Amino acid sequence: MNLPNENTTTMKDSMREIWQLTVKLWWQFFDWLAVVPKKTLALSMLMVLIICNMLFNDAEALIPIFAILILIRVLAGGKRRAELTADAANKRADTEQLERNLLEARMEALQAQIEPHFLFNTLASIDQLIQTDPPRASRMQQSLIRYLRYAMPQMREGSRPNLGQQTALSSAFLEIMAIRMEGRLQPEVLVPDGLKSAVFPSMMLQTLVENAIKHGLEPKAEGGRLEIKAEIRDGLLEVSVTDSGLGFAPKGAGGVGLANIRERLKVLYGNKAELVILVPLDGGTRATIRVPYEVAPQQVAPVRSEGS
Amino acid sequence: MSHKAAPTAVIADDERLMREQIVSRLKEAWPELVIVGEATNGLEAVAMARAQEPDIVFLDIRMPELDGIGAARALLGQCHVVFVTAYDQYAITAFEQGAVDYLLKPADPERLKLTCQRLQERLAKNEEEPNDMDVLLDQLSRRLGGEGKSRDYLRWIQASVGSSIRMISTREILFFRAEDKYTRVQTEGFEALIRKPIKELADELDPDEFWQIHRAILVRVDAIDQVSRDFRGQQIVQMKGNNEKLEVSRSFNNLFKQM
Repeated sequence: MNLPNENTTTMKDSMREIWQLTVKLWWQFFDWLAVVPKKTLALSMLMVLIICNMLFNDAEALIPIFAILILIRVLAGGKRRAELTADAANKRADTEQLERNLLEARMEALQAQIEPHFLFNTLASIDQLIQTDPPRASRMQQSLIRYLRYAMPQMREGSRPNLGQQTALSSAFLEIMAIRMEGRLQPEVLVPDGLKSAVFPSMMLQTLVENAIKHGLEPKAEGGRLEIKAEIRDGLLEVSVTDSGLGFAPKGAGGVGLANIRERLKVLYGNKAELVILVPLDGGTRATIRVPYEVAPQQVAPVRSEGS
Repeated sequence: MSHKAAPTAVIADDERLMREQIVSRLKEAWPELVIVGEATNGLEAVAMARAQEPDIVFLDIRMPELDGIGAARALLGQCHVVFVTAYDQYAITAFEQGAVDYLLKPADPERLKLTCQRLQERLAKNEEEPNDMDVLLDQLSRRLGGEGKSRDYLRWIQASVGSSIRMISTREILFFRAEDKYTRVQTEGFEALIRKPIKELADELDPDEFWQIHRAILVRVDAIDQVSRDFRGQQIVQMKGNNEKLEVSRSFNNLFKQM
């Protein structure tokens, strides 16, 4: 009883396969018809005509078929062609998005490098404080630990860097520099708690702070102020670093860190973000980053197992 | 360099903790050494060394006003120099090649003792600095200062915006175009007017970064999108992210010759 039944199923299956193949071939032919240049189309029609003439001596029958093909080409070709280009463009856009993500990751890693000069000088300072002022040494070391923890590349999945983390990183850095530079550095951090959950790209604020110290305050004998400020203006999150240091040398080399920030902003936000560098009336430098204001999704607190 | 009964030294570092550190460690490694002065920057160090005429100066490399290399150059032949640094890859390689004394922060007591012994020997023999010292200092300041030739070109354009001055990186700029008394600076997102004429800009900007295509136009080469010809056969340059058409004048036509 089962056998004939099975037979008909295989029959049906193979019929369906043949049908599917035909449909597939037809659409491939159709795609070809839609995109083939007119010259090639005319030429291949001519070839088919000649071959048919030689084989069957009766080529006139082909003329209506060709007429239909030309009609299809003219009527449906344009639409199909557009579809195909759109498909290709979509694929390209996907690849471009991937490439952009990769580029951003690479540039972030570049910017996330910890300055060895800072690290070794800080360790040397801690070494000295251990002998002369152990409580201060301990405080400085804790700041260094905090700095390193935040400066490590944020690999955790799904967590986007927020302004709170970035401010904590730079605050730890400034605490250390304030001990080392003593009266020559007066830092101030004005970041409202309400803005700490705002999304903000990693290491950008820190690059501005390092620049302000390296090019503005450290080379200035009497040092000066450094202020980190965050506010919302016109729907944008505005984070600025102002120093009363030496100011900008228009012919100075470098600026790699700033160029890197500008590139990253472009990759991340297109034209919706910017980096602006101003020289305020009373001298020094103010660098401002503006990005669209967006609150980072609340991170789910890790579930603590009993007894841990 | 007269040899005195008690050897003397000046210490220069912009961070107090680091000065304290080297003073206290020198006291252990070389008790006879008298510290005659502590300087907080390069200029102070030079002035102090000239006034006190010490046998040795310990110079931090990165200091305000004048860095350690500059101070060493100013004091060439007057006293022995020991460089002190926490981390300067280039410098350390150069020191080792040139047999210059240097210390790493925090100074390791064993290493410091060795340096002191060497200094004592030199002072006893009344030995001069190595001959190639000035060459070495030139080399060092070039390496620490950056990429050399690129330092002299204009990299930032100052444009006044309201009451402050905005610094525009040349990497952001698409083109400069002369307009009446001013020069327009065009970036992808905004434009600004400056007073500096095109001719001056052409002299001060990096010729590999900006090309003059017209008496009144300078374009950033990397931002060129395409060069085409209009119906008169005039070359037209278009920049990325901007649709202004920039004419190439005849005298600059050979910039865009076909390869």
